[in-house]
Amino acid sequence: MQRLFALVAVLVLAGCATSQRTTFPPPQTPAPPQSPAPERPASKPGDQVGTPAPKTMPARTAQEASSPAVLSLMGRADTLARNGNMDMSAATLERALDLEPRNPFIYQRLASVKLAQGQTGQAEAMARKSNSVAGNNPFVRADNWQLIAEARRTGGDRSGADEAVGRASDYRSASQQLMR
Amino acid sequence: MLGCLAAVAVAGYMVYLDGAVRAQFEGTRWTLPAKVYASPLEIYTGLDLSRSEITSRLDRQGYRSSSSLSRAGTYRSSGGRLDIHTRPFSFWDGDQAARQIRLGFDNTGVSSLGAIDDKGDIALIRLDPLMIGSIYPKQGEDRILVKLGDVPPMLPAGLITVEDRDFMNHWGVSPKSIMRAAWANMRAGGVVQGGSTITQQLVKNFYLNNQQTLVRKAKEALMAILLDAHYSKPEILEAYLNEVYLGQDGGRAIHGFGLASYFYFQKPLEELQPQEIALLVAMVKGPSYYSPRRHPERAKRRRDLVLDMFHSAGFLEEESWREAKKAGLGVTTRSVRSTSQYPAFIDLVRRQLLGQYKDADLTEEGLRVFTTLDPTVQAATEARVSKGLDQVEAARGIERDSLQASAVVTSVEGGRILALVGGRDAGFAGFNRALDARRPIGSLMKPVVYLTALADPSKYNVITPLDDSALSVKLANGDTWRPQNYSKRTHGNAVPLHYALTHSYNLATSRLALDVGIPNVIETLKSLGYNGDPLSVPSLALGAVDMAPLQVAQVYNTLAAGGYYTPLLAIRDVTTRDGEPLSRYPLKIKRAVDEAPVYLTNWVMQRVARFGTGASMYNTLPDSLNVAGKTGTTDDLRDSWFAGFSANRLAVVWVGRDDNKPAQLTGATGALQVWSRIMADLEPRGIMNVPPEGVVEIPLRMRFDPERGGDSYNSSRDCSRTAQVPFVRGEVPDGLSSCDSDIMQENRYRRRQPPEQREEDDGNWLQKLFG
Repeated sequence: MQRLFALVAVLVLAGCATSQRTTFPPPQTPAPPQSPAPERPASKPGDQVGTPAPKTMPARTAQEASSPAVLSLMGRADTLARNGNMDMSAATLERALDLEPRNPFIYQRLASVKLAQGQTGQAEAMARKSNSVAGNNPFVRADNWQLIAEARRTGGDRSGADEAVGRASDYRSASQQLMR
Repeated sequence: MLGCLAAVAVAGYMVYLDGAVRAQFEGTRWTLPAKVYASPLEIYTGLDLSRSEITSRLDRQGYRSSSSLSRAGTYRSSGGRLDIHTRPFSFWDGDQAARQIRLGFDNTGVSSLGAIDDKGDIALIRLDPLMIGSIYPKQGEDRILVKLGDVPPMLPAGLITVEDRDFMNHWGVSPKSIMRAAWANMRAGGVVQGGSTITQQLVKNFYLNNQQTLVRKAKEALMAILLDAHYSKPEILEAYLNEVYLGQDGGRAIHGFGLASYFYFQKPLEELQPQEIALLVAMVKGPSYYSPRRHPERAKRRRDLVLDMFHSAGFLEEESWREAKKAGLGVTTRSVRSTSQYPAFIDLVRRQLLGQYKDADLTEEGLRVFTTLDPTVQAATEARVSKGLDQVEAARGIERDSLQASAVVTSVEGGRILALVGGRDAGFAGFNRALDARRPIGSLMKPVVYLTALADPSKYNVITPLDDSALSVKLANGDTWRPQNYSKRTHGNAVPLHYALTHSYNLATSRLALDVGIPNVIETLKSLGYNGDPLSVPSLALGAVDMAPLQVAQVYNTLAAGGYYTPLLAIRDVTTRDGEPLSRYPLKIKRAVDEAPVYLTNWVMQRVARFGTGASMYNTLPDSLNVAGKTGTTDDLRDSWFAGFSANRLAVVWVGRDDNKPAQLTGATGALQVWSRIMADLEPRGIMNVPPEGVVEIPLRMRFDPERGGDSYNSSRDCSRTAQVPFVRGEVPDGLSSCDSDIMQENRYRRRQPPEQREEDDGNWLQKLFG
């Protein structure tokens, strides 16, 4: 439980650190980041199989990237987790995934729950899955690598944890650049 | 003395009967098959279902249209809105109360969801799930247990009025009711009441024997007295509610009012209206003689008579009585809740449960099993398999009804099995081909070969030139393996890797597989989720491994999920009869393969769909939809496969013959035809192509085309017509210029593999692999 609270604190702090600014200019980087894959059928026919990256700010919080239905399930899952009911919290998050199967914030929360349950392998897998659906969102990725670091540390993998901390801080600087 | 002996004998017999009747009575209370539920429909703003799609789902679950919306299980549809009074339900994660909700719609689906019942706001709500079957023992019985306290009071009151007025007072048998029945029958001019008490009828039902001998009658009477002595009136009445015989569904006896309510009205007992309760009560006397489906007029006459009895007994008021008599019988045309509705899926559920539960637990404890089946997806898949085979047979001049098929549909993320079809006639509980028909997978194996190669990005990328010239390999057993392309032609020694997979070239693929090593291909296959142990032979590259469609779905699901393996699941939760959680099947994921090579492989499989062997899918699917997939065809056209996926749906279809004779179909002419029609019905979302961390995309002109002379088709320098071609970061070939193409001569990887080395491989591949 303590671990979860530590983690929630990490996430909240990370969230606060990045949500203080309310306005942000468009990114200046040559390869603009993409928002997490939206859940809509959209793509170009013909030879152009790839889609160019939309020039939008990636979502920093679940609120920006999730529907009200998913947010309500996440809220319920958080309450369950706070009350120590990790199984039901995970079940509720899985219900949210049925609605938005490629929402990186849901996987991220599942990773926290798995970590709180001591399932470090699943925690890392969920965090990496979150990365894999996060597009180039450095906000999400930074938090995921932080979670991975925590999972590895708990699992006794010191050097792996250090590497993950490095990745987290890389993405944290990338997100700060975006905010500039 | 003789009298004394007789008394002892009778007493002994009584003790024996007492034991027998008590055992029966206790048994009925606990013998309950597990109930299996489909996945519930979640309703929320943004749900992409139209109003008519939701109402047809409601109809399917026995919801009724009602302008007052006063009861649970009703809806009203007006002015672009849909109001629903949902049923309460105990889900695996808690109870959900009945709610009255209002839905608004736009052209994409549900645009608003609100409460109209003062019970607070809601962001989403689940409909009670469709019950899709039971897991019951071989005798073919099925129950839906009801509690006396939960049924509409009119039901027990009506039963007592019609069947046994003296029930609350007699000792199990009642001379008075025999007299009363005789009197009533005389007045009515026919048999309207039987003389047996409810207790006697219950005893009779225990033994399922209609022999009306005097000895049996006496035995029944004795047992009824014993039952009455041991158990309270409410206990006996409750047992009766659950035991009484109320009809026949093919080989299955319909016992109890709970099941009868679904069987005749397709809704729970709690929702029955007075005339519907009256009909069930009316049928007790003779379920076959008064069958509302076979003898509707006779059934209605008796129902109206029963309604009159309800009215004169004082628990059906004047107005309701008149209204009820005006109503039709209201029975559904066929029994939708037949236990054989989704036999293939229920079979899978049963197999998954048997690993954890004893058979007796499943058939006796009344467990509640919540599954992943999506009734809409299942219905579409069944219909498309059955119609699709008709169409394929007609279009190809194949003998009618000679083909068979099976199909699996999953959710991709989460690995949920949404639909499973085990044969052409999905309602027939026979050979479950989706699980048990293991056939060679043919070219479905190829993406695994290419993935294995692309996982070594220093050696292979999607434009690496592959050798598609003739090949012969001496095998360990002395035979020579000589694969051929489907067209019997070769395509030179510099076919870009993506092109060879897109057009399913056998020679290039075989050579590639030998280069990367068959054991490595097997390792990839296992990482993707294949649980078998294939022979390490060169022909594995072309699919010489037998798999059931469900196994193929597991392998392709890992590809579709970006390299993350999730065991395919049919069950999400099991609870006890009272809703206590027993087993959860939580989401488990494993990073099975690196994301980057999977992304490259899926990118090529999208080209299979756009430009290759799968291209005819776009006769059915919208051009805007990005999907990936692969055809599979086996020797002599015996098996026709297609496996493919969008972002949120994966489907695997097999078409062939049970006798394993040639089906005369390729993957494209058979399975793909069925697959694309299934996919079109599933509201698929296109693949988004967001590259993972380790992938960069380079615009290239895709100009390789062996039909047009390969390199010579070089005149156009139109650099606007390019495709984003993915490469593993840090492994982009040297010398790529801004307007380069997929047949770039400078691709350094080609120079690392001198052609003469491959020639040396002939006959020596085993040495190369293990030496």
